[in-house]
Formats: sequence, C-alpha cells, structure tokens
Amino acid sequence: MKGTYAIVLVAVVVLVRLALRRRRRRGPSGASTTHVTTSESAREGTHNVVALVCEREIRQRVRGRMFRAATVVILLGVGAAIVIPSLRHSHTPTERVGVVGTLGADSRARVAATAASLGVKLHVTSLATRAAATAALDAGTIDVAILNGDSLVVKNPLPPTSTSSATQFVRGVAVALGVARAQSAAGLSSRQIATLARATPLAITSVHAGKSGRAADPTSIVGVILIFIMLSQYLGWILVGVMEEKSSRIVEVLLSAVRPIQVVTGKVLGIGLVAFAQAGIILVWALILARIVGSNLIHGTAPWALASILVWLVLGYSFYCWIYAAAGSMVERQDQAQTLAFPLTLPLIFGYVISLTTASSGTAAGWFKVFAYIPFTAPFAMPTLVGLGEATWWQFSAAVAIDVVCTIALARGAAVVYRRAILRTGSRVKIRELRSHSH
Amino acid sequence: MSAVLELRGLSRRYGSVQALDELSFSVPSGEVVGFLGPNGAGKTTTMRAIFALTELDAGTILWNGAAIGEAEQRRFGYMPEERGLYPNMPVAEQLEYLGRLHGLSIPRARAATRQWLERLEITDRAHSKVEELSHGNQQRVQLAAALVHSPELLILDEPLAGLDPGGIETIGAVLVEQAKSGCGVLLSSHQLDLVENLCESVTIINQGRLVVAGRVDDLASAGHPRLAVRVEGDRDGAWVRGLAGVTVSEVAGGEVRLVLEDENDSPRVLDVAARAGRVTKFDFERRRLSEVFREALR
Repeated sequence: MKGTYAIVLVAVVVLVRLALRRRRRRGPSGASTTHVTTSESAREGTHNVVALVCEREIRQRVRGRMFRAATVVILLGVGAAIVIPSLRHSHTPTERVGVVGTLGADSRARVAATAASLGVKLHVTSLATRAAATAALDAGTIDVAILNGDSLVVKNPLPPTSTSSATQFVRGVAVALGVARAQSAAGLSSRQIATLARATPLAITSVHAGKSGRAADPTSIVGVILIFIMLSQYLGWILVGVMEEKSSRIVEVLLSAVRPIQVVTGKVLGIGLVAFAQAGIILVWALILARIVGSNLIHGTAPWALASILVWLVLGYSFYCWIYAAAGSMVERQDQAQTLAFPLTLPLIFGYVISLTTASSGTAAGWFKVFAYIPFTAPFAMPTLVGLGEATWWQFSAAVAIDVVCTIALARGAAVVYRRAILRTGSRVKIRELRSHSH
Repeated sequence: MSAVLELRGLSRRYGSVQALDELSFSVPSGEVVGFLGPNGAGKTTTMRAIFALTELDAGTILWNGAAIGEAEQRRFGYMPEERGLYPNMPVAEQLEYLGRLHGLSIPRARAATRQWLERLEITDRAHSKVEELSHGNQQRVQLAAALVHSPELLILDEPLAGLDPGGIETIGAVLVEQAKSGCGVLLSSHQLDLVENLCESVTIINQGRLVVAGRVDDLASAGHPRLAVRVEGDRDGAWVRGLAGVTVSEVAGGEVRLVLEDENDSPRVLDVAARAGRVTKFDFERRRLSEVFREALR
C-alpha cells in the first residue's frame, strides 16, 4: 500500500511537469514574424491564460532559493525523524545466555518470555561444560549461564539496588525457572504445567467509570499537525504573493490584458501545485526512508486515514486560498500583511487545537463532530474523525460536499474583493470600502 | 477606414470628487495624441477606464465604433503611471510572459522580445532582473512590455517621466514610429515641450472636463500674437510692467514672451524695450503648448 501511494504521488508530479513542458513547447510552426493579427491575439482562451499565470508562479516559486532551502530542511528533518528512532530501536540491548546441559522447551519459552517482557533481545548459545561457561562469562561473550536448568551463574554479584535491564533479566529468569522447577517438583503433568504457563492476569474493574476512549490515534495526530503546518506555509505564500504583485504594481499591467479572476486563479493554482508537489516529495521521501530503515512510522496506518488527510489537505487549501488571496489584495506592505494574517490564522488554529486534543484523547465529543462539517474547521476535524473510526462514508461525503459548495461561493466573493481592492493603493483597504465600486 | 478610439461622456465620481465629468474625445490611429491636464485632472482615471480597470458611472468607450471587449483590450498596450514589473524576474523572460498573456505564441513572444530589447538598446540587460536596472532602463523595459505584442493602440501614462535626454530621444522616436506604422498613441505627460515635439494633437482636461482639444499646429497659431523679446542685462522683464495691452506669458533665461492684444502694438513695445537696454531679440513666435495649457486652465 505504501508503494502505491509513492507511485501515485510520483505520477502526479511527473504529469504536472509534462503538462507544463508540453504547454511551453506549444505554438504555431514556422512563426517568425512578430506581427500580431486580431485573430491571433484572440487565440489563447481563458484557461490558457490561467495556465500561463500558473506556470509563471510555479517557475518563480521553484526557482526561489528560499523554497529550495526550505524543502531541503524539511526533507532533512523528516529524514532525521524517521532514521534516528530506528537507529535507537536497532540498539535494543541483547541478553546473551549460555546453556550448559539440557533446557526444556517450557523453560526456554519462559526465558524468552522474560526477555520479551523487558523489551530486550535474546541470544542463546549452548556450552559444553561449566568451565566453558565460566570462561565465556570471564571473556564477556555471555551475560548469564544456565546450568542444567537448575542454577544460574553470572560474572559478578548482582547489585541489590540495580534496576538495569540486564539485572532484571537475570532475576526474572531465576524466578521463572524457579517456578518451573517447583511446578515440576509438585508432580504436575506437562499438560498442567502448560496450563499454568498460559495463566492470564485477572480483569480489573473500578468503582467509578472512567473515560472509555481508545488510545490516542497517532495517524490523526501526525495528520492534523501536517495539515496545519502545510496550510499555514502555503496560505502565507498566497497572501505575500498577491501583496507583492500589488505593491510592485505589475498587477495593473496584468489586468490591462486579462481578467482579475484569471490572475488570481492562476496564482492560487500555481502555488497549490508547488505546495502539493513539495508535500508529495516529502511523503515519498518519508515512505522510502521508512522502508529502507525498517521504521514502523507508517506501519499499521489505515490507507483511508492517510487518504483522508491528503484529501482534506487539498480541500483545506482550496477553501482557505481564496480568503488569503482576497486578503492579499487589500494590503501592499509587509506590516499590513502581518496585521491581517493574525485574524486569518485564528480559525486554522482553532480547528487545529480542537482536533489535536480530540485525536490525543482518542474520543470525539458530540460538539466536535459538528466542526467536521464547517469548512473552516473541517480540514482538521474530519480527518480526526476518520482516524478515530467515527465517520461513516456518507458523513465524510457530506462534509466534502459542504466544503466544495462553500469554496465555490467563497471563490466568487474573493474574486469581487480582489477586483475592487487590488488597484487601491495607500492604506489598507477595509471591507466596508469595497461594498460599493468607489475605487 | 482607420481605427479610432472614442470616449463618449465618461463620468466617474469618487466620493465627493468628480474625477470625470462627461468627458469626450477621440484618438485616431496613426497619431500621437498628447493627453494633458494638471495633477488630479482625471488623466489616469480615463486611461484606466479604457482597460476597464475602473468602473464608470456613465459613458461609453468605443474602438472602431464597437464596445471594447477582452479581445480588443489584449490588442492594446498599456504603460501605467505607477510602473509595474516583477522585480525578481529577468527582463527577457518577463517580456515573453507579458507577450504570451496578450496572445502571442512562444516563438513570436521570443522574437518580439529580442526585437524590442534591441530597438530600445537594452539587449545586454536581457537576463538581468528588473530590480538590477537603472530607472531609465526600467522605463525602457516598461515601454517594451507595452509594445511586445505589437498593439493597435498604445495608452501611456507619463512614459517620459524621469528619463535622461538619451532615453527621451529613443522612446520618443519609438512612439513616432509606432504612430507612423498605424498605431494610435495616447500619452499623458507634464513635459509640455516634449509633447509639443512628439504629438500631432493634444487633449487638455481639467477637473474631469474637456478644456481644449485640437491639432498642435492649429492651437499654436490660434490666439493673440506672441512676441519674444530679449533685452541685454534684463533678467525679469521689469521693463514691461505697466505696458497697456500687453501681458507677460513667460520669463525665462532673460527672454520675455509677451501676449499682445493687438499686433500693431509691437512698435510701442520695441520702443519701451529699447529704452530699457540693447534689444538682442524681437520676434513674433508661435504660441507654445505650455502657453496653450496655461491659458486653457485659466
């Protein structure tokens, strides 16, 4: 399944690149004159203008040093997050046990169970004599020797207060084998001994009911964090990008040739494609690394939970990008943009916090489920519900439908704001100033 | 029939300010038309209205007798008052991009970019970022951006502002070439001497209203006679004061330009001038555009 994701993402990136390259190569053959006729001027349609704006945006973003540096830093960070825990995991201590004489299957199983309960690896070697065991202990090639299943030998006395895994292991083995010997001495049959070995702890109940939720859902937690980080970054690009076109006055030149909706659509599309290409690269990199180092980061993640995160990343961007584009058209200085950015971030932060809290607790409250249908918070809340297994397919579909409808309405409103605000210079444009066409 | 841009009854109000007040005039193809007026007269609003960059309260704008749509708009070239280019984008790439937005194919946009960089003498800066260029070269790139798609109509808001004499000469020559090749050119400027040299006709507006429109030659020969007088040692034309039937139009560089109510008053003026000092110049001259402008706004 992980391989499938990787293939799909690589395919998307390749297709985008091919589409852009093909568009770059397109053009009438034999064109050598610069004279332009009426029909030629009218040749490029609306969608081509949007594609041109989008293509320029992609080229400029990808070319930027900041973008490249940020991508490298993120890749390094993700790489470290995957590799370092795996390296630590690979350094799990190993207890080396030398066995002199015979050690029954039941006793061997008890030794293995003791090691497993302490989270240490076990390596068992057979030794011919007690002298060989003593030599091995002195040489440090084993940690403990089991003599004929009835006594243990270590190199040095165990410190009485030590809680190290090595000490606990030796004590645990001593207890386990002691119990086995007692059971055998009691004349129990092998069947009875096996029954005792399968003993399970008693159930524990409490007088007062506690929170019955499941454990925290790691996929949802990681997903909500990723959505928040990525949306914050990419939406910031839109805000600043639109503001820069306004402050550099290039937008007046652009709007003399194309419609405002074409400019703003091309821009959010271009930034969106760059953003998702970056996200795709990061994801593919993470999957490849996880496979190489044997990380269990993705292991156990339900495919639909991962798909839900990706879907809502796209939907969240599609919804918020119009708000940020409209906001960018109302400012022309960095300080104005920063002032405006804070209130815009509030719904993102709200959705992020309530979703992270819910994903950590493992239980979704009734009020939380409502936020999964509100487009401002749905990009965080719905993937959380999916991760917790508390969203049915129709609830998911309903949230998507509401989000899409609201996004379309928002895009129309944002286009009006953009058109009325983008050529107004000086102080920050206020919404009430845009109600009429007094610009 | 040659193409013509017609503006009919344009009105636009910003709050309490009437920016355009039933403004009407036209720009024929093959001519450079100067668009003059004091600051706040409504020139930029008018130019923006041609590209639908500002909404009008009333009026229509026609190109060849028909309303201007998107397709027509893309065949016009525009140089806004506040220059606009991507600061971080290389010059040639930027021009190609703008050419393509106006409908050019990639090969045509490249060829046109090369052509205009060469014509405007900035080929060596093709790969420089715009922000790395001098003001004058940025101005040339901005003009190239308006020209790259071979427009049928050029709307230029202050294209000559801030240019050195070399730049003015180059850009002025390009505008005249464009007009000769059939393009209509409407340019606004406060540099009236330059406009007088470049333009066949002018339109002067004030407070959103048309004040004067006509051919430069006609306007120059109309009105009262102008007399240019230079008296040795005189810097401020003090000798003219109190002379009946004569008003001072300009005093600059020791030369006094006088408006005579009656051409027959010139002997009397010469007599007074001669009494003030040695007269080194005494000529009837055409009315300058600066004088047309000043008198129109009175």
